[in-house]
Amino acid sequence: MIGYLCKYAPVEILQAMGAEVSLIMPDASDYSRADRMLHPNICSFIKGVLETFAGGGYDGIVLTNCCDSTRRLYDRLKKEYPQKFIYMAEIPRTAGKAGAEFLAASAAGLADAYTRYSGRSFSCSALAELLKKKREECSARKADAGKAGEYRPPSACKAGRKSSPVKIGLTGARCSRSVLDRIESYDIHILFDMTCTGVPGNFSVPDQILKAVSGESAGGKKTREETAEAERRLLEEYARQLLTQIPCMRMTDCSPRERLLKSFEDRLDGIIFHTVQFCDNYSYEYAALHGNLSVPIQKLETDATSQCEGQIRTRLEAFLESVAASKGISAPQIIRQKREKHRKMGTKLHVMGIDSGSTSTNAVIMDENRRIEAYAVVRTGAKSAESAEHVLREALEKASLTRQDIDMIVSTGYGRVSIPFADRNVTEISCHGKGAHYFNPDVRTVLDIGGQDSKAIRLSEDGDVVDFVMNDKCAAGTGKFLEMMARTLEIDIGTLGQESLHWKEDIDISSMCSVFAESEVISLIADNREKCDIAHGIHKSVASRAVSLMKRVGLQPGYMMTGGVAKNPGAVREIEEKLGEKLFICEEPEIVGAAGAALFGLEELLGEA
Amino acid sequence: MDVIKTYGDILRRKAEKRPSAALKMFRFGFALEYQKATRFADRALPSGYREIYRAAVRKTAEILSDPSKSVWTNIFGPVEIFQCFDLNATSMEMLSGFMSGFRTEDYFIDRAEDAGIAPTLCSYHKHFIGAVEADIIPSPAYIAVTSAVCDGNINTMRYAAKKRGMPFFAVDVPHSDSEEAEKYLTGQLWEMIAELEQVTGRKFDADRLSETIRRENESKRLYASFVKEANRRCYPNTLTALTALLYPTHLSVGSEEALDLFRLLREDVEKYPEKECTRIMWVHLFPYYQETLKRYFNLSDQNYISVYDFAMDYMEEMDANDPVKAIARKMLRNIYNGDFSRKARMLTAMAEEFQPDGVIHYCHWGCKQSSGGVALLREAMSEKNFPMLVLDGDALDRRNDQDGQIRTRLEAFLEMIKNRRSVKR
Repeated sequence: MIGYLCKYAPVEILQAMGAEVSLIMPDASDYSRADRMLHPNICSFIKGVLETFAGGGYDGIVLTNCCDSTRRLYDRLKKEYPQKFIYMAEIPRTAGKAGAEFLAASAAGLADAYTRYSGRSFSCSALAELLKKKREECSARKADAGKAGEYRPPSACKAGRKSSPVKIGLTGARCSRSVLDRIESYDIHILFDMTCTGVPGNFSVPDQILKAVSGESAGGKKTREETAEAERRLLEEYARQLLTQIPCMRMTDCSPRERLLKSFEDRLDGIIFHTVQFCDNYSYEYAALHGNLSVPIQKLETDATSQCEGQIRTRLEAFLESVAASKGISAPQIIRQKREKHRKMGTKLHVMGIDSGSTSTNAVIMDENRRIEAYAVVRTGAKSAESAEHVLREALEKASLTRQDIDMIVSTGYGRVSIPFADRNVTEISCHGKGAHYFNPDVRTVLDIGGQDSKAIRLSEDGDVVDFVMNDKCAAGTGKFLEMMARTLEIDIGTLGQESLHWKEDIDISSMCSVFAESEVISLIADNREKCDIAHGIHKSVASRAVSLMKRVGLQPGYMMTGGVAKNPGAVREIEEKLGEKLFICEEPEIVGAAGAALFGLEELLGEA
Repeated sequence: MDVIKTYGDILRRKAEKRPSAALKMFRFGFALEYQKATRFADRALPSGYREIYRAAVRKTAEILSDPSKSVWTNIFGPVEIFQCFDLNATSMEMLSGFMSGFRTEDYFIDRAEDAGIAPTLCSYHKHFIGAVEADIIPSPAYIAVTSAVCDGNINTMRYAAKKRGMPFFAVDVPHSDSEEAEKYLTGQLWEMIAELEQVTGRKFDADRLSETIRRENESKRLYASFVKEANRRCYPNTLTALTALLYPTHLSVGSEEALDLFRLLREDVEKYPEKECTRIMWVHLFPYYQETLKRYFNLSDQNYISVYDFAMDYMEEMDANDPVKAIARKMLRNIYNGDFSRKARMLTAMAEEFQPDGVIHYCHWGCKQSSGGVALLREAMSEKNFPMLVLDGDALDRRNDQDGQIRTRLEAFLEMIKNRRSVKR
């Protein structure tokens, strides 16, 4: 089995030689080997390919000079596996005639190299045969996709549910199988997949060129020159067709991508834009699209491991919730969760929202008039389900209610799926949006800084989520970061903010990474700097990350801050300073998500959703 | 008071509200820097490097004040051709590098990231995009990049060109060095020349290009001989001077100005005596601002960077009679292009020729082509018994610099190689 990665790889050459080829779609869980053999700051997808290839099962691999990470993967594999077929196919970045000629030569080079490796020979008539078969497959598939109004390379994302009213486009860098599975699990119709996962979509080499290779010429037996000419034409046409697929971002002319996207724009409800960590090529397209499209776009960055599953899920579901809301469809219909009517006649309604975060678990009980009856905040222990149980008891006690009085429980937060007694769950993005609107309808931009993540959410006048971003997989700028720093400074986290307000010397903490920031703080302590000045520097660093996050959703005045860090006056002051505006902070900023969850429950019970 | 920090703070505020005022400040800043380099340059720095730095600052100032004669390209761009149309080549790396001297790089990098550009992209590219987004760099007459070495080039320039509503020419440089590759690349260069004829309204002068190539050959000979001499002696340098060296070795190579600079280097080196010191071969980029590295290497006669691979990435004689093809060959056969095994072979050969006590490879944030090969290079160097230190950091963005880490590693490495040296003797 020969693996390959790229839709431009001329693998039909190998297939025509009887080799079995397969597209490598890595799903690694650990990159320790790749980090050592390459470098940690290399494209995650490529690291995954290295891990997968090293895991065995492949006799070789055909790589393309697609990007720097792929080139270095080739160099590493070449050295590591001298007995295997490790080949770098040269793919031009231009699709014109010169490009096709060059790729044809490159394809012929691949055939020669594989002959040397395997002893099998290459014949153009076998390639012609194969291309004829592919042409038929392609036209059948195209007709199928055409009927559904889709664009779809064969091995890409499945269409989802065609009957779904929610139409989504998928683009960006290739997704791992688990991400595709996740996307396909929702009740949405995926109109196109422009990620580079797909293999060639449109082989339609004309009969005339195919026949010229094997058949006889009009005047009887073909001369050697005629044969050579026919073979050259075949290879060149094959190369031309490879190159004229919907281009990826490595090509010099990417305008067909824009045109394809534009052609779908009026039918789309949203775009999922996938990027891979340390693959920078697609972020240019994201930057160009973001803010210039009439449809919402959601960036989904993964490191191609299964570990980021939780984050992906939150981002995807929050996005789909907001897309659904804009169409007046209830989110659960899309996310396909069990939905039971709890409405009891004649009695007062009580709903509970539980926000299971990494640091605190919060609950709110609300009555049918949207009045908060009680709330509770407890620290999250090792098991989120236990903490949820705990906060449930405490909130019920405060409201003098029993478990049976609660008509519906909606969970949210990272631990939302692990709460067994919740009737449904909604992402913390939508809940924070809803909660923020509830506490202050003038709020348009919400900043939530919790224990392990931070997010910025932009709201419409009605409190629907218009756009949101979350921080990346890193503790910097979160509550955890402040906790670490307080510990280093030997100050209680509760007084860190207060302490920093007395600062005199303006210190910058420049490290972006919390681990390095810690060593920076240690050297400042060693330097005999005042604690309050260091604390002030720490808060400035948190504030600058926070405001940068808010900028990414657009700074719409009407600012609110939620989450535990909103209780820290030092952080709040620095953020306000950077924004040049006041932040609205409610009495208990940790319960905004839970309040939003309760409101979702109420809407469902009252049939508003 | 820290003047540069204050200047940078004002620049930042201007950039936010009035880009044209910020551009004026940049121009003024470069004019000042040029005066400083002319009148108050540190005399401890040899005159060869002083003049190189001065020339590079002058060119950057010129590009900011008269953009109508400038071309945006990358450090591996076909600059010889631009010279024949009297155009000044400036690379995004050079613009970003010089502009970051005002310590405003965080602002421009954040601008790019806020626009949606990946934080993991090379800081030179991010800075350039941020400066384009902020409208600080005036639009050039022409934009052309090559795909060679760095995979961000085409995307970054395409993005920048689109922002400015300008076309851009992408030169696709193949990975391997073959006859077909040469033909494909030469064809593209001719296409670019035809486009330049249209843009400038001037005819291409092949004889002039041949002259340029002859000067380039002469420059390379002088530089090679300089490196040999400088390696025997100690011709003090700084991280900034070595970075500025890429101006005559790359961006202005082939010009009269560059040739004069190499003549000066070659003459001046003779004035410096032979010296016993720790010799380092440096690979890739310099974080010119990095405190520890500056302390150890700047103007030091103890720890001396004797060889810099980037400045010697293509030392072959070029065929002045077939100049366009010669440029294509130069791109294909650059040590940074092609398989890494070739680069490793050429760098170890370089080490064997100059016999440094150690090799330092600086992995610049976001640079996958170099970081990805660092493990391979270390293996190759260790086979030839050259100790190699890998430092991770960011050549531009001070926020990604971990001084403590660099210090511990560098000091341990220097102790180790000093020890090896004394054992050898």
